[in-house]
Amino acid sequence: MPCWGCRAKSYNTKSVQKTGNEKNKNQSNLKNKPENNELGCAANISAKNISAGEYDYDLVVIGGGSGGLAAAKEATALGAKVAVLDYVTPSPIGTKWGLGGTCVNVGCIPKKLMHQAALLGESIHDAKSYGWQIGDNVSHSWESLRDAIQAHIKSVNWVTRVELRDKKVEYINGLGTFKDAHTVQTVTKQGERNLTARYFLIAVGGRPKYSNIPGALEYGITSDDIFSLNRVPGKTIIVGAGYIGLECAGFLKGLGYDATVMIRSVPLRGFDQQMAGIIVEEMRDKGVKFLHKCLPKSVEKLDSGKLKVSWVNEASEEFNDEFDTILFAIGRRALTKELNLENAGVKIAGDGEKIDAVNEQTNVSHIFAVGDVLYKKPELTPVAIHAGRLLARRLFGNSTINMDYDNVATTIFTPLEYGCVGISEEVAIKRYGEDNIEVYHGYYKPTEFFIPQKSIVHCYLKVVALREGDQKVLGLHFIGPQAGEVIQGFAAALKCNLTVNALMSTVGIHPTIAEEFTRINITKRSGKDPNPASCCS
Amino acid sequence: MNTLITRSLSRQFGALGRRTLATTQLKSGSFKVQDDKDFIDKVENSKEPVIVDFFATWCGPCKALEPRLENVIAQRKGDISVAKVDIDDLGELAAKYEVSTIPALVVFQNGKVKERLVGLQDEDKLNLWIDNILKK
Repeated sequence: MPCWGCRAKSYNTKSVQKTGNEKNKNQSNLKNKPENNELGCAANISAKNISAGEYDYDLVVIGGGSGGLAAAKEATALGAKVAVLDYVTPSPIGTKWGLGGTCVNVGCIPKKLMHQAALLGESIHDAKSYGWQIGDNVSHSWESLRDAIQAHIKSVNWVTRVELRDKKVEYINGLGTFKDAHTVQTVTKQGERNLTARYFLIAVGGRPKYSNIPGALEYGITSDDIFSLNRVPGKTIIVGAGYIGLECAGFLKGLGYDATVMIRSVPLRGFDQQMAGIIVEEMRDKGVKFLHKCLPKSVEKLDSGKLKVSWVNEASEEFNDEFDTILFAIGRRALTKELNLENAGVKIAGDGEKIDAVNEQTNVSHIFAVGDVLYKKPELTPVAIHAGRLLARRLFGNSTINMDYDNVATTIFTPLEYGCVGISEEVAIKRYGEDNIEVYHGYYKPTEFFIPQKSIVHCYLKVVALREGDQKVLGLHFIGPQAGEVIQGFAAALKCNLTVNALMSTVGIHPTIAEEFTRINITKRSGKDPNPASCCS
Repeated sequence: MNTLITRSLSRQFGALGRRTLATTQLKSGSFKVQDDKDFIDKVENSKEPVIVDFFATWCGPCKALEPRLENVIAQRKGDISVAKVDIDDLGELAAKYEVSTIPALVVFQNGKVKERLVGLQDEDKLNLWIDNILKK
């Protein structure tokens, strides 16, 4: 049976909860408790006796994604009466999907599978140098990959549905909008329904944005469509160089398609820019084309069926080329407009669409929010799951533990992966001053790269630390194969206040790539060559 | 080769024969359940035992089970029939009968669940299981 991330995550919740316990005990923000005494009451009576009282439900969750479902299941386990509203508005080209939200259906899960498909292609190539006799006519079927991925997604949808059923969470396939502060209205196949609840959780997430240029909506696709695309993508232009754009370009190129990325300003905004630059270089070496400082102008469909895409560069010079596919990855829009939040009095953040919440609580004390809809919080599935679960425990389980949004590890699944935890070098400099931080760095050579003579020039890592004393680690950055697997363990170390001293006194596992973190010894300040000593490279 | 052909021929004839017989009762052989009403008519209202095969198009073990079950049913020459329920189309039925793992074979008779067999099975197991049902 498929194993959903959410289930697997229940293990690390416990450990994080323990460390979080001490850290957050004093942070429980009294100001943010509801003004009425409802939370106190709910928390004091035994969990199984919670009753919705004057309301239909204790909790109504709007959005059946990672965060919403985690909160709903936890709340139900604590005795609350819960309903989850989940509804997917089809994309402009008509793509729709089932229960479970972005990650499962059009995000992390299909993305990682397409990435894996691309890596396998590389491995087939490498295998020859390891002695495997493989014919030259190795080809890839987009249809087979797409169907296999969609089958997996459907199985996860089913498991999710069964889980809700088993845990007695009511699932309603309808769009929810606020009628007033305690009522959500929805329309399902059975007709209109009004749901009243003591608490509400907004977990509607976001959807991709489209450029405001002629032809974008008619002919463009987004990450909502690519994983179930009913034709081969062919020659593709990806507009946007955030992690979604780069990942899509990476796996498309890896599967054998011509891929071009158009960058408006900088790649991977918000990430360490030195690492972002290395990722772009590495992708360029693999054959992905980059158009720097360019903006799309129009998309036209030609008689041949191809798309003529026009764009302008910094100097306002206009260019165009023909593509089979144009994919927009220029950011995501939080789906708050659809909620009629004004009816409930919930305020929107300064960006005009997200929700600013302290400990997931909005300005309306009984309305909460988790996940991608939150202002200035990491848009990551495990973050939403964790926050949702902790919130449910605070509302219905007498808990005072708040979500710690700091030091959350993440990984970009470009062909050579980039994993990081903590802060970037530029943020560290800004926060502590250049004189007060030390950056250890080094290039390294994965053992398995030698035989197929794969390029090692972009295998790089750095440790950003405070300069004084044991040198507390502020950020870890790693580019290489399996970066996600490498960085996850170190993320736990960072939660335990990792120092450079501790890192250096850790004995590595040889030969691995993760051991490179235990071998760092060259500081940027020293000016020494961070390249490893080597023969013939 | 010969035996294969004979077997498939006899299966076809069997199906034909059943179809003519089925003018009074449309319950023999293997059929796909179309909707809730279809399920009530052909499964819940059946006095004879019916095996309901809860499956999904994306489920590998379900695909593997299908030909085995068909073989075993064909050998019974119309003594028992199989109603196939696609859980993606008829999720409420799966929920009603508490199907959470597929493939799930659920035997109905006179509107009641008599037996359950969950997971991929080999033909020997299926044969024994169906023999037991028919004995009861």
